[in-house]
Amino acid sequence: MGTSLGAFPSSSAAGVKLLNGQYEVLTALPLPGAGGGLPAFAARHQPSGRTDFMAVRASPGAPPRANALARLEGEVIPGLLTPLAHGPGPAPEGGEAYYVICPEPPGPSLAAPAASGSPWGEAEIVHYVLRPAAHVLEALKSRGLTHRAIRPDNIFSGGAKNPVVLGCAWAAPPASLQPAVFEPPYMAMCAPACRGEGSIADDVYALGVTLLTLALGRTPLAELDTEAIILRKLSRGSFEALAADAELPSLLADLLRSMLAEDPAHRPSPALLLDTSTARSRKVTTRPPRRAQRPLTLNASPVWDVRSLAYQVATHPEPGARMLRNGAVTDWIRRELGANQMASTLEELVRWRAREGGTEDRRADSILVLRAVAVLDPLAPPAWRGILLWPDGVGPALAAAMAKGNEELAELRDFIISHAITLWAAQQGSRVDATTLRQQAQQMELWLRARDWETGIARLAYALNPLMPCASPLLRGRWVISAAELLKALDAAAAQPEVRRLAPMDTHLAAFIAVRQDHSFYLDVWEAARAGAPARLVLAELNLLVAVETRNNLGPLPQLSAWVGEHAKAALELWHSRTRRAALQQQLQALATGGRLQPILTLLDDPTALQADAEGLQHALARIGEIDAELAQIAAGSSTRAALAERIGREFAAGATLAALTAALVAAALG
Amino acid sequence: MPKSARRLDTGHPRSLLWVEGALCGIAAALSPGTALLLVGLLAPGLVSLALDGAPGKPMARAVLLAGVTASISALRQLWLDGASLDAALNLLEDPLRLGTAWAAGATGWLISELAPIITRLLLDARSLIRAKELRAERERLEAEWSLPAGHPPPTSPPPAS
Repeated sequence: MGTSLGAFPSSSAAGVKLLNGQYEVLTALPLPGAGGGLPAFAARHQPSGRTDFMAVRASPGAPPRANALARLEGEVIPGLLTPLAHGPGPAPEGGEAYYVICPEPPGPSLAAPAASGSPWGEAEIVHYVLRPAAHVLEALKSRGLTHRAIRPDNIFSGGAKNPVVLGCAWAAPPASLQPAVFEPPYMAMCAPACRGEGSIADDVYALGVTLLTLALGRTPLAELDTEAIILRKLSRGSFEALAADAELPSLLADLLRSMLAEDPAHRPSPALLLDTSTARSRKVTTRPPRRAQRPLTLNASPVWDVRSLAYQVATHPEPGARMLRNGAVTDWIRRELGANQMASTLEELVRWRAREGGTEDRRADSILVLRAVAVLDPLAPPAWRGILLWPDGVGPALAAAMAKGNEELAELRDFIISHAITLWAAQQGSRVDATTLRQQAQQMELWLRARDWETGIARLAYALNPLMPCASPLLRGRWVISAAELLKALDAAAAQPEVRRLAPMDTHLAAFIAVRQDHSFYLDVWEAARAGAPARLVLAELNLLVAVETRNNLGPLPQLSAWVGEHAKAALELWHSRTRRAALQQQLQALATGGRLQPILTLLDDPTALQADAEGLQHALARIGEIDAELAQIAAGSSTRAALAERIGREFAAGATLAALTAALVAAALG
Repeated sequence: MPKSARRLDTGHPRSLLWVEGALCGIAAALSPGTALLLVGLLAPGLVSLALDGAPGKPMARAVLLAGVTASISALRQLWLDGASLDAALNLLEDPLRLGTAWAAGATGWLISELAPIITRLLLDARSLIRAKELRAERERLEAEWSLPAGHPPPTSPPPAS
């Protein structure tokens, strides 16, 4: 792209945070259009001094693709901007951001005015776009990966008659930045975060639309909104919808017809695309759906075919469920489309719905819609209360919903605990691996299981998104993805007085530690402690933090230990002996300045000392009982003392007078 | 209540009363002077003997013993003077001798009345000190073991009446 870094000073000075210890993100030097829809900045490789790199910035609600980054990092695939490194770096506005380092694009994107002004010729398209891209897709396919960001503005060319380079697709969830027109309708109907990794066939589709765009010199259906594009593709088939009116070269038309097939299984593989003459001879496509004579009106929209019906039912679940239950859908299918088998299956689903729940049972309605959509259009993704998402899109969907903090989180939770994925897979037959999907769904349920649903959903989100940063408010402005970094970030955050007023643990921190450090046991203890005494909660918090500290062999964390020390005072309430508490408090103050958490926990969570303290309390209570009994005896002993005093007094009088008499007699006798 | 019955209530067997009466009669017959002197000097004791209804007659006993103590020198003088009635009357006419004997009886009465009260005061004081010690220990335990003051100790023992 030709960034000019000549005048940009080398910041090898101390204090510059290097990404992965090697790359400096030059936030003052943005690279517009280079990040495939994400902000990108120039980056400098410090060891070599090279500056032909870019840092693509991720957003917290759309975490980078951990699987792709792990498999591609350091690999070189010609024609692809492969990731070289990734990690947190400085954000232009301050704080931290997460970047994926890639080579800088070789030139402008194909969407740049110079490249997109006039239609491309067939030979140019095949030689400089189709074949290089097919090579890249084949390489990705062999690694079990997809690109999912193929579109003109993310394909770059180093100049005329140069093969193109596919841009960076690793800093955001798969296909999350793809416009609807470049995605198969069954992907486009999902929210951007819900599209999942997909398959290489989806990349072939996107490549097909890209080729069409280049051939036309404009983006097809640019005048339509997303829903209109989806409905047009569903009702006519993608090729017809996109290229019906276009005059395309025959080779390209044949290729696009198969590349834009609705069914991913009907699209050619990347390897096949390398041999265009073989690929064009492939004539396997899905037939457009049968159009009814009279439409079915659903949610005030006329529906003419079964795919559009599935889409409308999926996106408008309440009227859809109502029309399924009252038989309007099955009647229409049977009468207008003659699909008796499909109608019978739907009627069976409705009967199941009637058996399973009452008329107001929302979950039973949701399951009815989920299964009905799968019957109406087997290519459609699972549909749950208006949310369409592929099973492998659950993670990014959770991350997006968590960033927005909206009600979608509760719906996604219901989606998982209602076994929607398993139910959907059961309707799919051999199209999907039902066993694997069921296992994945069970694993999700396991992560989700928690006393508090917010903790469960956070735990699931962190488990499914390895590069999603901890969303704790205590770590605002920091991108923390590992438990070891978490304590360091907390140590840094503890320097802020407003943070120190809060407890050093919250739902996000606990769920994050449980997932990233595999300490679910301490999460359970923490959750149980939340309902109990503050002292127990403090110990549970400490246990979580210490579990991270001990496993990661971290250095001193003075700010964090001081912070923990302040909040750990509540744990002293576990001791009943005031003397012991005072001694512990002194020790705690000393340990809080030591920068280690383990000694604080050892001091406060000492079962032997606690047992001795409890026994001391029991002895004290017993002694108090004795004292009370003796005091009661004293209070009630007035009459006894009076009788005793009377007796003693009389005896004393008798004794005294008798003694006097004796003395007198002795005196008389002695004369 | 008949007199005999009241005397029985004091615990003296009827036969013992008769023996006492007989012995007194014999003593008076053998030495009327001594008897007269004793009756005169021990009059307060004899009165208290009649009035004291307590078992064992502790007050009368103290008065009599004190009276006898003060009467020894008079009895000795009587016996030196021949123990006649005249000698007894002469001795009884001495107001100092009679007053001393009666004052001794009064002292005996005073001792018998004050001794129980003083003893009661001492016992109550000892109980108060003990209760104070116990309450202090209880408060110390409550403070040391962070116990709520939910179980107040019993009230202080009432003062001696």
